[in-house]
Amino acid sequence: MAQAQSLENAHVQHHFRSSDQQFSSSKLGMWLFLFTEVMFFGGLFVAYIIYRAWNPELFTMAATELSTVLGGINTVVLIGSSLTCALAIRAAQTNNQKMIVNYLLVTIVLATVFLVIKYFEYTAKFEVGILPGGMYTFEGIDHPKASVFFSIYYMMTGLHGIHVIIGIGLMIWLVVKARAGAYSSAYYTPVEITGLYWHLVDIIWIFLFPLMYLID
Amino acid sequence: MSAHHIIPLKTLLSTTFALVVLTVVTVAVFYLNIPAPFDVVVALLLASFKATLVAMFFMGLYYDEKFNTVVLVFSLLFFLVFVGITLLDTNFRDAGINVWIP
Amino acid sequence: MSAAATNGNTLKVRYFDIDENPPKNYLNAESGLKSWLFTVDHKRIGLMYLASIALFFFVGGVLALVLRTELFTPAENLMNAETYNRIFTLHGAIMVFLFIIPSIPAALGNFLLPIMLGAKDVAFPRLNLASFWIYSIGALFTLASLAVNPIDTGWTFYTPYSVQTGSAVILMTFGVFIMGFSSILTGMNFIVTVHKMRAPGMTWGRLPLFIWAMYATSVIQVLATPVLAITLALLIMERTLGIGIFDPALGGDPVLYQHFFWFYSHPAVYIMIVPAFGVISELIGTFSRKTVFGYWAIAMSSLAIAFIGSLVWGHHMFVSGQSELSTVVFSFLTFFVGIPTGIKIFNWLATMHKGSIDMKTPMLYACIFLFLFTIGGVTGIMLGAISVNVQLHDTYYVVAHFHYVMMGGTVMAFLGGLHFWWPKMTGKMYSEFWGRISAVIIFIGFNLTFLPQFIMGSQGMPRRYYSYIEQFQTMHQLSTIGSYVLGIGFVIIAVYLAHSLWKGEKATSNPWGARTLDWMTSSPPLQHNFNYQPVVTNGAYDYHKPISDFTLGISDDVYHGNDHEGDIRKQSAETV
Repeated sequence: MAQAQSLENAHVQHHFRSSDQQFSSSKLGMWLFLFTEVMFFGGLFVAYIIYRAWNPELFTMAATELSTVLGGINTVVLIGSSLTCALAIRAAQTNNQKMIVNYLLVTIVLATVFLVIKYFEYTAKFEVGILPGGMYTFEGIDHPKASVFFSIYYMMTGLHGIHVIIGIGLMIWLVVKARAGAYSSAYYTPVEITGLYWHLVDIIWIFLFPLMYLID
Repeated sequence: MSAHHIIPLKTLLSTTFALVVLTVVTVAVFYLNIPAPFDVVVALLLASFKATLVAMFFMGLYYDEKFNTVVLVFSLLFFLVFVGITLLDTNFRDAGINVWIP
Repeated sequence: MSAAATNGNTLKVRYFDIDENPPKNYLNAESGLKSWLFTVDHKRIGLMYLASIALFFFVGGVLALVLRTELFTPAENLMNAETYNRIFTLHGAIMVFLFIIPSIPAALGNFLLPIMLGAKDVAFPRLNLASFWIYSIGALFTLASLAVNPIDTGWTFYTPYSVQTGSAVILMTFGVFIMGFSSILTGMNFIVTVHKMRAPGMTWGRLPLFIWAMYATSVIQVLATPVLAITLALLIMERTLGIGIFDPALGGDPVLYQHFFWFYSHPAVYIMIVPAFGVISELIGTFSRKTVFGYWAIAMSSLAIAFIGSLVWGHHMFVSGQSELSTVVFSFLTFFVGIPTGIKIFNWLATMHKGSIDMKTPMLYACIFLFLFTIGGVTGIMLGAISVNVQLHDTYYVVAHFHYVMMGGTVMAFLGGLHFWWPKMTGKMYSEFWGRISAVIIFIGFNLTFLPQFIMGSQGMPRRYYSYIEQFQTMHQLSTIGSYVLGIGFVIIAVYLAHSLWKGEKATSNPWGARTLDWMTSSPPLQHNFNYQPVVTNGAYDYHKPISDFTLGISDDVYHGNDHEGDIRKQSAETV
């Protein structure tokens, strides 16, 4: 009995008293990290709000250059990836080793679809000269600060894209570990906190979509 | 242990369904051409509702220790402080000391 | 065996004797360079931080002496104006980002926080090590900018100049960006540790006040530092891509940069000073031999400062061209910071009142702190008033004010804390005689350096100028002489502390008779802090109770053994 218990607790680091203490510590740590993410993106949202308050007409004009359809599809893609990510955690909680891997793989695929769509959006903009800041040459928008809108657009979506790439990297690592049978109902902390991160990336996009693409 | 709560499959699926429907509503509202500033208000309300759904059911805050919710709420509070106080400057630059009468 | 009630639960605890001379402590349990560089022990990480910040304090201090030497006469003594700009920028950036922000939290905090909570380590030891290495990498970038083309923007990197200057702004800001992550990770780690790693019976009301101060500091670190990160990222983008958010030439707004910068950097001022409050609470409690007066007032005022301090950043921008409305609001909010700070000062004085004060070196520093910090704080309130601020903006008055707060406050508290915990960290006693002598020298040197700057500032001497009109020469010379005296004081400290390492007397586990858990283990502490699980049944400042009441605990064998594992863990999980 005693031995079974110590095997079950093999993942508990020596300075924790129990598995639960370790789990809830990791989770609180992740939530605090998400706090910093909110403030990190928050800075860009502040820049967005202030420039929109200063130049409402610019934002209306410039947003027409962005594709509502592609943005909408990407929103649904990210929501779907959030679902599969939550299902991966559920699979871990119910000791379904195979489905942890499968759900994570679907999440990775959806995240990649998001990036591919983003890639096509970016290149279409680059071709007509909508580049960030000083390289901006597009003449379709009659406003002296047109480049500032797209600077903010590229900073926000670019930073979000970097977060998606990091998320994919984390989930590839989870797949490798899950294949080796590292996660079960007794221990699935990395899956859980990566999930939290991934859902935050989703939430940020949920705000970016109407604020960037849907301005009338 | 509430932190290890297994979220019912039905909850996850209906959350996803609600999120997709709300996305469609967001786009539909855009084509309704609601006059400013209410278009932004509606869009942000819908987005906030979606974000709340994600936080409560996908991220499990509904079942989790309450302090994690406190952390999230505080992050939003401080973001609002940052926006609000900065706007006190940027939106009132041209007001002039004589125009602003307390 | 005796029973102790903790939160209504009953744990079986017993008294433990402190092992004064354990064969293995954290310093000699492992050896070799690798055992230091890759350690996850919070105490060793704390010491590595201590060594790093001592190095950077030395560098920043030498730069300060160079500046003061240049200012001895209005003529060009050592350097031209351009070099002077670079030197004062480096002095500021090194002192702020490399020394004072990590000083108390990362060095003393890392060492003490887990021990004071009765934990074996911080919640995420590997993250803690990562945080140290991130700090080191950031420091390397900063130093690289020194080698490439030292920056001349001032430590605030204001746009548009920071976009136009040819100096290595990107390297410098990227270094600061990286160090920000170190600060964030430390803050996260501490918050989780305080929430989750407290010993059984260590309720929030029994936390040492140092822990409360560290907690408030960590909240600010987690809250504000990401905004610095995004600000510097935008600045780097501004320089590389010309994104035009901050650069007026491209349609941007430079005042927005100042909002972003000070949204971090004003709270950062409290990252620097709040830990100092924590140290002072410990020093005054211990050396007055009295329960700290107004425990909850001091604890909560730290959190209040963290909160109010986040609302007042615009008082750095009164002459920047921000709107009158926000100027009035910021000025009004600024006055509120004085309330929790005043609460602390008066509670400390009330603690000392009718206490049996023992004027040992750490307490001497605490008294110096009270004196200097009060001057710094009150002049801060004056500068918060708009009309006074417009007059004194960017003068030596401001320079003197923040040196009284940062150096007279934080550095004095840091020195007090360093002397207080030196026996605990190294196991050696320093020379009390030289400790007191150097404290007095530093006090004199400090005031000689910065009091004249108040006077010059009020008469209109602008900051950051490498020359001045003749009327200020006497004051500048007094200030320069003062800075040399100050330097001598620090040299004496370095000598006797180093000497104590080789020749110092062996320290006992509790040389000051304190009551917090950090004194309930040997000096230097064991590798895992305690060889039992401490259980807390008394407040941190119950000086009326015998020390043996503070060494209660559960034996590790019982605690982690197989016999009672199930039920004891359950009990402790409930008490925590």
